[in-house]
Amino acid sequence: MKRFRRQFFLGMLALIAATMAALWLHKRFCALPDYAFLTGWILFAVMLVLTFFNARKKLPFLALGKAETWLQIHIYLGFFTVVLFLIHLNFRAPHGWFEITLAWLFALVSASGVVGLFFSRTLPRRLATRGGEAIFEKIPALRHALKTGAENLALGKEAKSPVIAEFYTRQLAPFFEGPKNFWLHTFESRRPVSALLAELDDLRRFTNEAERATLDKLAALVRQKDGLDYHRALQLTLKLWLFVHIPLTYGLLVFTVLHIVLVFGFSGGVQ
Amino acid sequence: MPAAPTILERPQRWDAAFDPDMTDAALDRLLATAPFRDMDAEKFPKRTPLREILRNDSRIRRFRQGEIIVRQGDYGTSAFLILRGATRVVLKPHLPPALLGRQSPGKKGFFRTLAQLWNGSRPAETFSRTRLRQAAGLGARQTKNEVHVFLQDLPRVMDEHRTEQMTGGDFFGEIAALSRMARTSTIFADSDDAELLEIRWQGLRDLMKYDDALRTHVNKIYRERALSSYLNATPMFQHLTKEQVDRVAEQIEFATYGDYDWSGEYKRLAQSGSVQPEKEPVIAQEGDYPNGVVLLRAGFARISQKLGGGERTLNYIGAGQLFGLREISHNWRNKDSPVNLQFSLRAIGYTHLLIVPTRVMEEIVLPSLPKNELPEAIEIVKDELGSQPVAEKGAREKVGAEILEFLTENRLFNATASMVIDLDRCTRCDDCVRACASTHDNNPRFLRHGPTSGSLMVANACLHCADPVCMIGCPTGAIHRESFAGQVVINPDTCIGCKACFNNCPYDAIRMVEIRDETGEFMVDQEMKPIAKATKCDLCVESHGGPACERACPHGALTRINLNNLDALSKWLKP
Amino acid sequence: MSEQLPAPDFDAQNYARPNQNWVCGHACEGQPCRHGPDSKGRCRATAECKPVLETKPGETKGRWRCTRPGEPCESGPMPDGSCCRPISKCSPVPTLRVWRRRATLAVIAASFAVLLVLLGNPSWRNNFISPGEISSAHSGEAFAALAATNRLNQNCGACHVAGNSGPNGMVKAALSAEPGFFEFNKFLDAHAAAPTAIDGSCEQCHVAHNFHQPNAAAVSCAFCHAEHQGKLMAAATDADCVFCHGDTVKMAAASTAGSVVPVIHHFAEDHPQFRFITEKWRDPDTLKFNHALHLMGATIPNLPGGAKLDCAFCHQLDAAGAFMKPVAFENNCRVCHSLQFDPETPQLQLPHGSAEFVTAFLRSLPKQYADLAAKKNQPDANTYVQQKLVALRTQFGSGDDLERRIFFSTETFGPDTQVGTLSGSTRALFPGCELCHEVKSSEAGSPAITKPIMPERWLAQAKFNHAKHANISCGQCHDAVHSKDTADILLPAKETCATCHSPRGGVVDTCATCHTYHNAAVAAR
Repeated sequence: MKRFRRQFFLGMLALIAATMAALWLHKRFCALPDYAFLTGWILFAVMLVLTFFNARKKLPFLALGKAETWLQIHIYLGFFTVVLFLIHLNFRAPHGWFEITLAWLFALVSASGVVGLFFSRTLPRRLATRGGEAIFEKIPALRHALKTGAENLALGKEAKSPVIAEFYTRQLAPFFEGPKNFWLHTFESRRPVSALLAELDDLRRFTNEAERATLDKLAALVRQKDGLDYHRALQLTLKLWLFVHIPLTYGLLVFTVLHIVLVFGFSGGVQ
Repeated sequence: MPAAPTILERPQRWDAAFDPDMTDAALDRLLATAPFRDMDAEKFPKRTPLREILRNDSRIRRFRQGEIIVRQGDYGTSAFLILRGATRVVLKPHLPPALLGRQSPGKKGFFRTLAQLWNGSRPAETFSRTRLRQAAGLGARQTKNEVHVFLQDLPRVMDEHRTEQMTGGDFFGEIAALSRMARTSTIFADSDDAELLEIRWQGLRDLMKYDDALRTHVNKIYRERALSSYLNATPMFQHLTKEQVDRVAEQIEFATYGDYDWSGEYKRLAQSGSVQPEKEPVIAQEGDYPNGVVLLRAGFARISQKLGGGERTLNYIGAGQLFGLREISHNWRNKDSPVNLQFSLRAIGYTHLLIVPTRVMEEIVLPSLPKNELPEAIEIVKDELGSQPVAEKGAREKVGAEILEFLTENRLFNATASMVIDLDRCTRCDDCVRACASTHDNNPRFLRHGPTSGSLMVANACLHCADPVCMIGCPTGAIHRESFAGQVVINPDTCIGCKACFNNCPYDAIRMVEIRDETGEFMVDQEMKPIAKATKCDLCVESHGGPACERACPHGALTRINLNNLDALSKWLKP
Repeated sequence: MSEQLPAPDFDAQNYARPNQNWVCGHACEGQPCRHGPDSKGRCRATAECKPVLETKPGETKGRWRCTRPGEPCESGPMPDGSCCRPISKCSPVPTLRVWRRRATLAVIAASFAVLLVLLGNPSWRNNFISPGEISSAHSGEAFAALAATNRLNQNCGACHVAGNSGPNGMVKAALSAEPGFFEFNKFLDAHAAAPTAIDGSCEQCHVAHNFHQPNAAAVSCAFCHAEHQGKLMAAATDADCVFCHGDTVKMAAASTAGSVVPVIHHFAEDHPQFRFITEKWRDPDTLKFNHALHLMGATIPNLPGGAKLDCAFCHQLDAAGAFMKPVAFENNCRVCHSLQFDPETPQLQLPHGSAEFVTAFLRSLPKQYADLAAKKNQPDANTYVQQKLVALRTQFGSGDDLERRIFFSTETFGPDTQVGTLSGSTRALFPGCELCHEVKSSEAGSPAITKPIMPERWLAQAKFNHAKHANISCGQCHDAVHSKDTADILLPAKETCATCHSPRGGVVDTCATCHTYHNAAVAAR
C-alpha cells in the first residue's frame, strides 16, 4: 500500500536527517566537559519516550494520539536511539563489567525490536496468504474439536475399519494431540503434513469405498489441523519476541537508573 | 467438511400472521369501521382479499394514558390507525432523549475517563445495582406479551412541550413504514382506552394498491410532507423552478421492493448459502425500455449485468443515488438510436424508491440540465457475439471484483462505520480489543473475527448501518441513533434483554451478555434467571478522540470505514 | 483442498475477551464455563443453576425449581436446594500476557537482585562498577609502592569519595554531585572542568597544577587525562587544547590588555605565523657569516678529505638527536680559517677566545719563537728567533702594525699558501679577527672583540626533532643558500611546516606535536 510506502520514506528521511544532525552536533559539542551527561540524559529521555509506547497501549481511552503514529515514532526513534547510544559511547566500546552489561542490554533490546519489526511486517502477510483465521486464545479449543472429530471418525462407534483405526492410533493421534512443527511452520515448510497426507493416500489401496470416504474426511481434518498449527506457530512468534523486548527493556531501565546514580556519584564534582 | 445443505422453504407471505390471535369478530368490527367500511372488496384480488390482509397484516393494540406508541427517531415497520380514544403527538421541540429511554448524549467527563485506569480488574459485564435502578423518567408495564413504556410525570411533559391531539380515524406512521425513514415525532396515548390498529407495511402496501382512496390519501400526505423538500435537495432538480418541482412531485411515482424485515430471513438464507442476486426482486430489467429514472430513497439496490448464465454485480447504490439517467438522457439526445436499459437493478433486502417517469424527465428535467451535467452518450460496441453493453465503470475499478462481490454478498455496503482489518498488516495482537474493553468498563464490544475476503476482514463489530434493522422492534427504545453523529447505540439501563435487536442484526454485531454485580456474580431476576443485556460497539460515542479500536491499532491495519460508497475503502486500500 | 480453518464457534452470549488475564481451564476443551475465572485467577464455578424455592399458597415446605439457563435439567435440584449438576472446578490458565508480565517482573527482580548482590559486596563492587581498566601508571606494584608512601590506597576510594561506601553512600554522593543531576545549564556551559576532589588525589603525587601560562584557568587533571581507558592513560587531544584556544571569548578574556591572543583550531588553518617572521626578528649575532658564500661560493675550498663544504660539516646533531650542537670555532671554522699569522711558521697559531690573549701573545713573540725553536730542537735558537722577527718586520713593519693588522684586517688576499686542497694567491691565510668578529679598538690595552651570541632556540615554546626530519634536506626548510647576512634567521615559515604537518600533508599536526602544556619541570614528586 502506498500509504505505508510514503510513511516509510518520510520516516527514513527523518531518521537520516536526525542522524546527520546528531552527528554534526556531536562534532560541534563533543568537547564540552560534561558532554557525556548531556547525551546521557537525552538518551535516557528518548528511552523513556520509547518505553511510554507500552504505557500508551495500556491507556487507550485517553486521547493520546493514534497508536499507529506512536509505533512509527517508536520505530524510527528506536533506530535513532542506536545512533544516540553510539554518540553517548563516543563510538568506543565500553570497558567495565557494569557498562558492558548495560551496553549488552541495550543491544539486545534494540536487536529484539528490529527482529520484532521484521516479524510484524512479514508474518501477517504469510498468515493472510495461508488463509483462515483463528483467535489465538481459541486455538486449543479448535484443536480439541478437530481431535474429537478425527477420533470419532477413526475410533468412534460407527468406525469399523481396523486399518484406519490402526493408522490413527499410530500416526494421527500424536499429530492431533497437541501443537506440532513449530519451527517447520515458522520456516514455511510443509514437509510433515505432506508426508502424513501421502501416507493417508497410501492407505487407500487397502480400503473400501466407505473407508475411503472416511479417509477423505480425515485428510481434510489433517489439513485443518496443519493450518491451525501454522497459525499457532506464527501468531506465537508474533507474540514471543515481545518476551525479550519488554522484560529486557525494564531490566535496561533498572541498570540505566543505577548507571546515572553511579556516574553522578563518581563524578569528579562530588564534594 | 461440507455440511449437508439445509433445505429451507423460502418464507411465504402470511406464513406468520402479524397477530395470530386476530379473531373474526374483531375483523368484522374492523370491516365495519372507516376507512375499511368504504373500501371496495371486489377490487382486491382473490389471493389477497381485504379481509385476509387485515387478518394477517394488522393487529389491534390498546394503550393507556401516557404510554408511548411511536418514538421520534425510531424505525418502524407499521402504520397506525386510531380506532378509539385519543393519542397525542409531540410537536417540535422533541422530547429529551432520556425521557424516551435513551442515553443522554455527551462525552465522558475527565474523572470518568480517568477512572478507567483502575477499572482494569473489574469482572466482565459488571453493572452496579444503583445504576440499573435509576429511573430514567419512564416506566414500563408488562402486559401479556408486550412491554408498554409510559411517560412518567405526564403533566409536566404536557406542560413543557407543545402537543396536539389526534382522535379516531386518524392515520399516522405510514410514511415511516413505507419509506423506511425514522419516525418524525413521538406519539403517546392520551386516554386510557386508546385502541389502535397497527398495520404492517406489507398490508399497507397492498391496501394502497387496491384502494384508490387510501392510495390517494397516503400519496397526498407523502408528497406534502416528505417529497418537495427531498426533491429540492436532489442535485438533478437543482435547475428547476418551484412550479416545475411541484409538477415533478405530482407525477413522481414511488415504490417499495423487497422485504422490510429482511434481516432475519437474510440471516437464514446466508447461513444456508443461497444468497443469489437472481432471486432478489427486480426493480428494472436489463434490456427493458427505461420507464423512468430511479431515485433511491432508502435501502440498497444492486446494479448487475448478465454474464453467461448468471449476473455479475457491477455496483450497488444507496440512498440518494440514481439509476437509468444515462439511458434516458441518451435516448432524449439521440432519438434515432434509442437504447434499452444496460443493466438490471435489484433490491437488496428492502428498497424504497422514487421513479421520475421518462416523459417527465424529457419534458421538464433534462431540458433544464446544463450540457456538462448530462451523462455521456452510450456507445454500443458490436462484436461477433452481438451487442455488448458497456460495463459500468467505477466500483470494480475502485476495489476490484472480488471485494465488490464480497461486500455485496455480505450486504456490508449498509455500513457507515464497519470495522475493516487488513490482514496483511494485522499482527493479531488484539490491541484493538483491549482498547475497546478499557473504554467500555473492561468489556470488549466486538469480536475480532468475521467474514474475510483475501486479506480483508470485516470484523463482527457494529457497522452502524445506514439502514439499521436492529432498531426495528425495540420495545423500550433502548437501541437508538445517537442524536449528534447518528451512531447506533444501546442504552443498557433501559435494555430489557428481549433479543429483538440481536435477532434482527444480520452481521452478528449484537451480543446478549449476562450481567454481573460488582462481586462477579450473575445478576438474576426473581426467577433466578440471569439478566441479559444487548451490547454492541457504540463507536466510543462517549469517549474523546473517536473509536478506540482504530486509534489503538499500532500497524494501521484497522479502520472504521463507510461502505455506503466505495471511495473511502478504495482510498484506504490504495491511497 | 480446503485450507480454511474450522470456523471457531463463538459464543453468541459472549465476546472473546483477550483483555482478561485468566482463561477458564475447560476452555481448551472448547467448553469454558459460564462463570469464568475471577480477576485473580480463581475458579468461580459452582453449579449449573441456583434453584429457587417455590411455595404455593397452602404449602408449607415448597418445592425447589431448577433455573438452569436454557432447559431445566432432568433430575432437578437436590432436596436441600442445591443444584444436582455441580461444575467441576478448573484451574484457570493464565494468558500469554500474564506470562509476559511475569517475565517482566522476573527480569526487574533479577536486575535488582544482581545489582544488590554485586554492589553490596565491597570486593565485587569495585570490579563490577569500574568503567574500565586503570592505566598502568596508576596501578600495579610500582604504584602500590608509591601509593604507600603517599598514604593512598588502590581502591576506588583513593580518588572517588563514593568509592569507599555502599549503595547508600553512592546515592548520597550522586545527590551532592556538582554539577547536580539536572543542572543542564552547567552541562551546556563550555567551561573547562574546574579542579575537583579527585585532583586532590592526583596532587598527592603530582606537582600541583603546573601550567604553561600563569594566567590559564585552573583545569582539572581529568579534563585532559582521562583515566579508566586502559593501560595507557589517554593522551591529551587537540580538542582539549582547542577547548580554550579555539574559543574566542575565553581567549579574549585571557589576553592581557592590548594584545590579542589568537584563536587556534588547527595548525595549518589558523595557527598564527611564527613570531620571528611577523615581528621581523633579526639575529643579533655580531659574528659575520655568509651562508650563501660558504655553501655556494666558488672560492670556498674543499675540505681536507676532499669533500665539499656542506651544512652538516658545521651543523651536527646533538646526542639526543633533537637539536644541533652549537657551532664552535675549533670544530667547524679552524679547518679553513687558520690562525697562522706568520706565513713562514705554520706551527705558530694565534690563540682564539680572548683579545687579551692575542695581544699578550703578540707582545711575547720572541719568546714564542724561542719556545718553538726549543720544541723543534733548533740548534741555534737565537738566530732562528731573530730570523723570524726580521721576516715579520719585513712583511708587516712594526709590531704595532702587526697587531693592528691581525685585529682589524679583513684583507683576504695574501701570500700563496696551501689551504686545504686549494692553493694559490686567492685568499689570505689569516686575514684578521675582524673578518668574522666585531672588533673595537680601545685606547688602552687590546681591542675589544664582541663575544658572539648564538641563540640555541628561536622558537622556545616548540619542540623539534631534527633526527625525525632526516629524510628531507636541510635546504627544504632552511633557506641558507640565499642568506648573505648573519642577521637572517634561517628558520622556515609556518607554511613550510604545514606542507607536511597538515591534514593534506598527512603528517601529524596535533598541538602536542610541537607544544607542551605543562611547564618543563613536571615530575613525580
